[in-house]
Amino acid sequence: MRASEPITLEHVPCCICGAVDGAPVGVGEDFEYHTSAQSFLAVRCPSCDLIYLDPRPSLASLPVIYPDDYHAFMFDEEQFGIVHKVRSRLEARRLLRAGRGLPADAHVLDVGCGDGFHLDLLRKHGPSGWFLHGVDTDERAAAAAGRRGLDVEVGSVEQSRIAPGSIDLALCIQTIEHVADPVTVLRSIGNLLKPGGRLYLITDNTGSPDFRLTKGRHWGGYHFPRHWNLFNKASLRKLAEASGMEVITLSTTTSPVNWTYSVRNMLVDWNAPSWLVNRFSLKAAPALAVFTAFDTMFTLIGRGALLRAILGRPR
Amino acid sequence: MSDRTAPVVVIGGGIAGLLAAHELARHGVAANVYEAGPRIAGMAATHTDEDGFSYDVGAHFVTNRFMAALGMRAACRTLPRYGEVVRLGPDRHPLYPIGLLGVPRFVRSAIWEKVRRPKRDLLVAADRFRRDFGRALADEVALPLLEAWSGLPADELSSSVIDKLPTSLAKTIWLRAAQRITRRAVMIGYCKEEPSATGVFHVYPEGGIAAICGHVADGLASPVQVSSPAERIYTDGERVIGARIAGQEIETSTVISTLPINRLSQLVEGTDRLDRFRRFQFRGLVLVNLKLTGRQLLPEVIVWTPKGFPYFRVTEASLAMPWIAPEGKTMILCEFGAQPGDDVWSLSDEAIIERCLSTIGPMIAGVRERFIGASVLRQPLGYPVFALDYEPDRASLATEGTGIAGLHSVGRNGEFDHILMEDTFWRLRRRIPGIAQEHLKATHDHHVMSRPR
Repeated sequence: MRASEPITLEHVPCCICGAVDGAPVGVGEDFEYHTSAQSFLAVRCPSCDLIYLDPRPSLASLPVIYPDDYHAFMFDEEQFGIVHKVRSRLEARRLLRAGRGLPADAHVLDVGCGDGFHLDLLRKHGPSGWFLHGVDTDERAAAAAGRRGLDVEVGSVEQSRIAPGSIDLALCIQTIEHVADPVTVLRSIGNLLKPGGRLYLITDNTGSPDFRLTKGRHWGGYHFPRHWNLFNKASLRKLAEASGMEVITLSTTTSPVNWTYSVRNMLVDWNAPSWLVNRFSLKAAPALAVFTAFDTMFTLIGRGALLRAILGRPR
Repeated sequence: MSDRTAPVVVIGGGIAGLLAAHELARHGVAANVYEAGPRIAGMAATHTDEDGFSYDVGAHFVTNRFMAALGMRAACRTLPRYGEVVRLGPDRHPLYPIGLLGVPRFVRSAIWEKVRRPKRDLLVAADRFRRDFGRALADEVALPLLEAWSGLPADELSSSVIDKLPTSLAKTIWLRAAQRITRRAVMIGYCKEEPSATGVFHVYPEGGIAAICGHVADGLASPVQVSSPAERIYTDGERVIGARIAGQEIETSTVISTLPINRLSQLVEGTDRLDRFRRFQFRGLVLVNLKLTGRQLLPEVIVWTPKGFPYFRVTEASLAMPWIAPEGKTMILCEFGAQPGDDVWSLSDEAIIERCLSTIGPMIAGVRERFIGASVLRQPLGYPVFALDYEPDRASLATEGTGIAGLHSVGRNGEFDHILMEDTFWRLRRRIPGIAQEHLKATHDHHVMSRPR
């Protein structure tokens, strides 16, 4: 059982500016997978407004903190039913909007593709001439994508075999918050893009009301200890700048997940009965529906749960 | 004078000194920590005696937030409860602070104070307490306690002694409720540097408080040099140029001292700027740990005793930390304010234990039958005394530091402030970037100046 292995921690600076004087914002545990007895501290960089874990698990601890039943390895229709159906439809629409105007033979790369959920959507709903590529550092994720019949490279985007300057559209969907060095990852993606190519990036928004309300401990977006760097609009702009990328659009989008998990984490932490805890999960359609409606209102005023950025490689 | 990478000299191998070196390392600045005693952990030391009782020198508050910052939370236990009451009489122990609102005469006098606003000198602790809490609560509870642990009358103390991060009444009630719901000792107040929150609670490391020092020391690049007392700090009148530690002359442009500020000022040569800190006084504490049979002998973890007892506070730490005493037994800590050399300080161990046993009867029935043994500890650095007399100098230390470039006085004794270990940590985290930058610049300038032309 992996969960019993202790993890090792390391101190890290702000990934954008290198400062090490982060001020504490929240402290919590792995409320979802219970992979460690540690508590984790989220700090805010005073100059960048980046929220990051310090100390955070070392790279050697990755197999522990991403257990085999981690959801990104197995988001399938069988288990997730109606939620899977609705999410697929919504996300397919978003992706196709991001890919509007691409040539019929475009190359699309999903960085941190997990089990290939998004690539699969593009294969089903996108133009048939598109070439779909994926990279993920986790073998289990790549294997799951392989089972869907997708071509996924195991490894980091920095060391990918993909030819520089060959990608029309890169996707980085809820990935950047997981990586150790977001600047290097964005730079590498920039190198893979064709001149004028674009990166569609989605990540948790620390400028959202759910963060403000629950940042002390239970915010779903912390996903302790797997989200290492978390952004708001300001810090994402700084990240783009530090990575040599140009911000084309920067907005927010709706997601019920962080709301749902903020409530769930609180219930778990406070030892609520399991029938109540289970009302709040990725499989709990009613809670997801309510929070989707709720978060839509915040998206209208620019404070949705997720950040959505289109970044470009400067010509 | 050519070593351009001369490490920072850190004086004191207690938690403050170790954390300073730890933070400096994160800025790529080397530091050597020198401890006068034979081992690290200074005031944070933990003892376990032959009867299986373990105790720390004084009370230490450690939160899950602080432990997470050091990556040590997994090695800590969570305290199931924590609370303080004030003994107003037999069977009258209102919870501090909210229970005091249930005492009609306190409320009446607080309202009277707010409405009438009698003329008060708010820089003086006595007047400030009366304005903030009302005369009855101040005179009956707050001021007697303040005087006991300060050793001075409250009209000779500065009101800055209560300049803490205030926790509002509504927040206090909310945090108390969270304590009930979560069955954790949610921290209410105490920490000056970072706010209380429902998710921040008291924890205690396995191996005691000293384990924190051990953990931080283990992470340092160079080992702490023990039995290495600081003897001199050299300045050129403006800035630090070196130090003498255990007879050895060391060049450095930066010294971080955790010594009591009045002691530090005696070591500094080449300037009289620190002389004003010499008269700062620390109030001593005599700590008597009574080992007794039974548990839950007190109504709460801490009972403040503003009158009727020779000690100002009684603590049954095993209510919050059951593991510090063997099963079926407990430890009651009685704290006396004292000064080295005064009557209380000079009492023999037997005499002061007897004083506890003969007075604690109204609080703990049958204490003599329960008595197993006791230990007495004399702590000369109990609390900094916020005397009005030297308040301007104390305030200038807080805002401007020592006045000598490269000389930094940190930690509760160095800063002469009522702060927790966690406060020391966050303050260091804010100060060290500047100190590191200054150190690198000074060593660079020094190198440029001393390079042969």
